[in-house]
Amino acid sequence: MPIEVKMPKLSPTMETGVITQWMVKVGDQIKEGDVLADIETDKATMQMKSFEDGVIAHIDHEEGAEVALGQRVLVLAKKGEDPKEVAANLQKADGAEATNAKAGKNAAQAADAGAGTKAAGAVAVEDEDGQVAKPKAAGTGGRLKSTPLARKIAAEARLDLSRVAGSGPGGRIIRKDVEDYLAGAPSTGAEAPSGLIRRISTEPIAPRRIPHSRMRKTIAQRMVQSKQTAPEIHVTMDVRVDKLMAIREGLNKELATEKVKLSVGDFVTKAVATALRRHPGLNATFEPDAIVQHGEINIGIAVSLEEGLIVPVLQRADELGLIDIRRESEALANAARSGNLTGEQLSGGTFTISNMGMYGVRQFDAIINLPEVAILAVAAAEKRPVVEGDQLVVGTVMTLTLSADHRAVDGAAAADFMRTLKNLLEEPARMLL
Amino acid sequence: MAVFSFREALNQAMTEEMERDDRVFLMGEEVAEYDGAYKVSQGMLKRFGPRRVIDTPISEEGFAGIGIGAAMVGLRPIVEFMTFSFSLVAIDQIVNNAANMRYMSGGQFAVPIVFRGSSGMAGSLGATHSHRLESWYAQVPGLQVVMPATPADAKGLLKTAIRSDDPVVFIEHEVLYHDRGEVPDGEHLVPFGKADVKRLGKDVTLITYSRALKYTLAAAEELAADGIDAEVIDLRSIRPLDIDTLVESVAKTHRAVIVEEDWPYCGLGAGISDRITQRVFDELDAPIRRVASLDAPIPYNRQLEASMLPTPPRIIEAVRDVMYL
Repeated sequence: MPIEVKMPKLSPTMETGVITQWMVKVGDQIKEGDVLADIETDKATMQMKSFEDGVIAHIDHEEGAEVALGQRVLVLAKKGEDPKEVAANLQKADGAEATNAKAGKNAAQAADAGAGTKAAGAVAVEDEDGQVAKPKAAGTGGRLKSTPLARKIAAEARLDLSRVAGSGPGGRIIRKDVEDYLAGAPSTGAEAPSGLIRRISTEPIAPRRIPHSRMRKTIAQRMVQSKQTAPEIHVTMDVRVDKLMAIREGLNKELATEKVKLSVGDFVTKAVATALRRHPGLNATFEPDAIVQHGEINIGIAVSLEEGLIVPVLQRADELGLIDIRRESEALANAARSGNLTGEQLSGGTFTISNMGMYGVRQFDAIINLPEVAILAVAAAEKRPVVEGDQLVVGTVMTLTLSADHRAVDGAAAADFMRTLKNLLEEPARMLL
Repeated sequence: MAVFSFREALNQAMTEEMERDDRVFLMGEEVAEYDGAYKVSQGMLKRFGPRRVIDTPISEEGFAGIGIGAAMVGLRPIVEFMTFSFSLVAIDQIVNNAANMRYMSGGQFAVPIVFRGSSGMAGSLGATHSHRLESWYAQVPGLQVVMPATPADAKGLLKTAIRSDDPVVFIEHEVLYHDRGEVPDGEHLVPFGKADVKRLGKDVTLITYSRALKYTLAAAEELAADGIDAEVIDLRSIRPLDIDTLVESVAKTHRAVIVEEDWPYCGLGAGISDRITQRVFDELDAPIRRVASLDAPIPYNRQLEASMLPTPPRIIEAVRDVMYL
């Protein structure tokens, strides 16, 4: 069977692509990975590559044509197939299609009835499953295709699937896509940070009035209180995480059998807990008459919920290894999402981490969770140009921003803590010392 | 454990059960004087005499009915069809009488009978002698359907079948009769409704039975060479189905391919796929694929017949498909 090459999903939101330039012509010998054409999507111009070896038998569209997702753009003859014959058969089939369209309804009924009732000698168009004809990919745009397992994992992680690019047939989102997304794989090059503009509806928008929930009231009150009472300073640092990513990949391979998948955030939690041991001034609360430096390092992890935000606490985080950090963070996040957090899980925090890496955020400032004296804002690990000696190289970099309450923490102390943190994250082995 | 052929294992099962229980007897075409069309009943006439090993005329509907009647009044017949393709002329007896008698008589009559014989695409037998009727019988409440793939299961399942108080459709595969394998010594019974995990794996669940198990295991080996770790499950018992073992495996691998020799439309895999989907829809990362025979009468020509079979290349293609490779 010749291979029909269809318009691929080159951006998570594209519905059509414009063929700006063909890189191949009929008769060309193609290898897997060869560039077939430049395609302009809603985001950028991308290369469309071949997933198969073969010879180009037929090209459907001229340069400049706008082609819907999943629609055929060219046909490859496989090894052993004559490209000319393939092209000739295509022409025949295209002619027949017009006539078949009329008979389509009857054919569909025959398929429903179980097929196999056709007179002997009829042209064999049944496939091995006894279906009369494969349905043409119906309505390419619109519905997001995903497997049940992908949906389940996304729902558990409260992930909007429209953020995930599907790698399955017809752009189907499969488990791997969701897991890769959740693991916060550093975004690669041209691929836009996911967090996407969906098609904007032009329907009139009905106004809504949403009464404050208790959670909303608490958030409003506490954020205002923090901004009004704590004079914040912000200290930002870029952290090179190539080594950390390599270690994480290695550990995750080993831990695959135990179903543990360490996230970049888990390493940050570990490093923060370790750094706080050396900087007790940041593991503190500001009280009217004193700064209280705590004996336990209990790290709050901000969890976003549909209705707001909650900060469950990882107790004695400095005593936990990475596996326990992962397991307990996951348990806390699940409990938060199902509304099952206990009072104990919500209290005793001495420092908070807010991680928006999964949204592709480059840098942000978090508001201090009073009476704590500092909060760390964690952005995405992404590939960036980095100066190494006098060379420009590609490195994986993550930007961290500490917001500190200047009543308790001076600039130098904040910067010193960040230097320790950067040190630990760039050379994770130092956490063993 | 001693090694026996599939046919010897069947012979042992019948012989042991006939020695154990005087009510058990065998009848069918050529089972006595000729020692069985496939020599499954070799030596049994000599051992048990013509009262218990009975040749019948070519009259499947008649002797199936006689068997059912005998079972109703207290005997435990084993009815051999030379091939299950010939059971088609007796299907009214099997489906209407054997399967329904307990229900229709309000429990007054049980039908402890075993219908057994060969089946499948066995090499140029042509369209009328190559039937695979497992899905036909498996659909009927009141029947139990089993299909062994190994000599050990052939013996263990047949002994369980003979001891069952309800009708059993025991479908052998003609090309397996020569296969040899270890058979446990002594009293060996295999329960119905218990699948056998032949190979543990984590990437994909391959569900199969009877002769297709051999193709499936061969495919699994080839896949392993490519780094794909397939779990292979031999159903053994078609009805009752061991759905728990299947869903447990699919929940682990998140994908399934069902390998069967019957036809694709309304074939056995369709029903199994439905049950898996109902139970663990959320675990599936790909549609369940089936590798069945092609949707056409079985050709006499050997090459064409070979193209109908669920052979390793077709299984591998389906596996790669569900793994998005």
